Amino acid sequence: MLSTEIEEGSQLMNPELMTLMELQDLRAQHRALSGGESESVEVEQFNIDPTVAAARLEEVIAELEGRLSPPVLKRYRQIAPNRERVVVPVIHGVCYGCFVSIPTATAGDQDVHNQVRTCQSCGSFIYVAS
Amino acid sequence: MKLRELFTPESVTLSLEAESKDEILKELIQLLELDEKSEAILFKTLKRRENLGSTGIGKGIAIPHCRSLVVEELRLAYARKPGGVDFNAIDDEPVFNFFLIVAPPLEVSNQYLPVLGKVAQFAKDPEVPGLLAGLDDAEGFLSLLEERAP
Repeated sequence: MLSTEIEEGSQLMNPELMTLMELQDLRAQHRALSGGESESVEVEQFNIDPTVAAARLEEVIAELEGRLSPPVLKRYRQIAPNRERVVVPVIHGVCYGCFVSIPTATAGDQDVHNQVRTCQSCGSFIYVAS
Repeated sequence: MKLRELFTPESVTLSLEAESKDEILKELIQLLELDEKSEAILFKTLKRRENLGSTGIGKGIAIPHCRSLVVEELRLAYARKPGGVDFNAIDDEPVFNFFLIVAPPLEVSNQYLPVLGKVAQFAKDPEVPGLLAGLDDAEGFLSLLEERAP
């Protein structure tokens, strides 16, 4: 794939779902920097100031949350504090948040990348993995 | 786990073509052979990590890394840029060698940090930059890992 297509790839998915996936990755970074597992590695190997870095991440997270529509933001805030993965893949028709099969109509929906959907069982935001 | 076991010949290139930091990241990501959406998300995540502070650790080495849900297991790639490129490294010197590390948000085996530490240790071996510069092919890189990162 040409490198320019990486940016174009972001056009293949609903922007809100893309934002949710970015948020999840940023929250993972934030956890790691806020007294989490990799804080010492980031400090020792990469000279990162964890306090400053965590504050910057919080700014970006807030900015991205501001891009979500009210219903999606509401759902996100309901589930985000209680779990590390708010967005999960659906692989072979199974939600990888709760490992329950999701309705065939949803799993096989070719338009699934253009809509923000949640698992009816666990409530996680879902996307169909390629 | 040995570092050698985490690389494949396909995840190694000795001839990066990119000339800028962003393009380097994109070319590195392509070594993981992800789908287009995943590449786009991973690029953004790596960029945001770089914005917190460069992963260029000096002596011509950079280790871009992050956790991302686009991978289901720990993935690594290595790339060499003949001539080097400005990567805002902590010593302000060009970077020639790039080690990409991407781990899933949750990881049962919890290898991410030990592997990150091993890569940093390998890269900081004073002889390694010279040995990397002398490599002729991907197999040579894998053999070097076998020898220097047991």
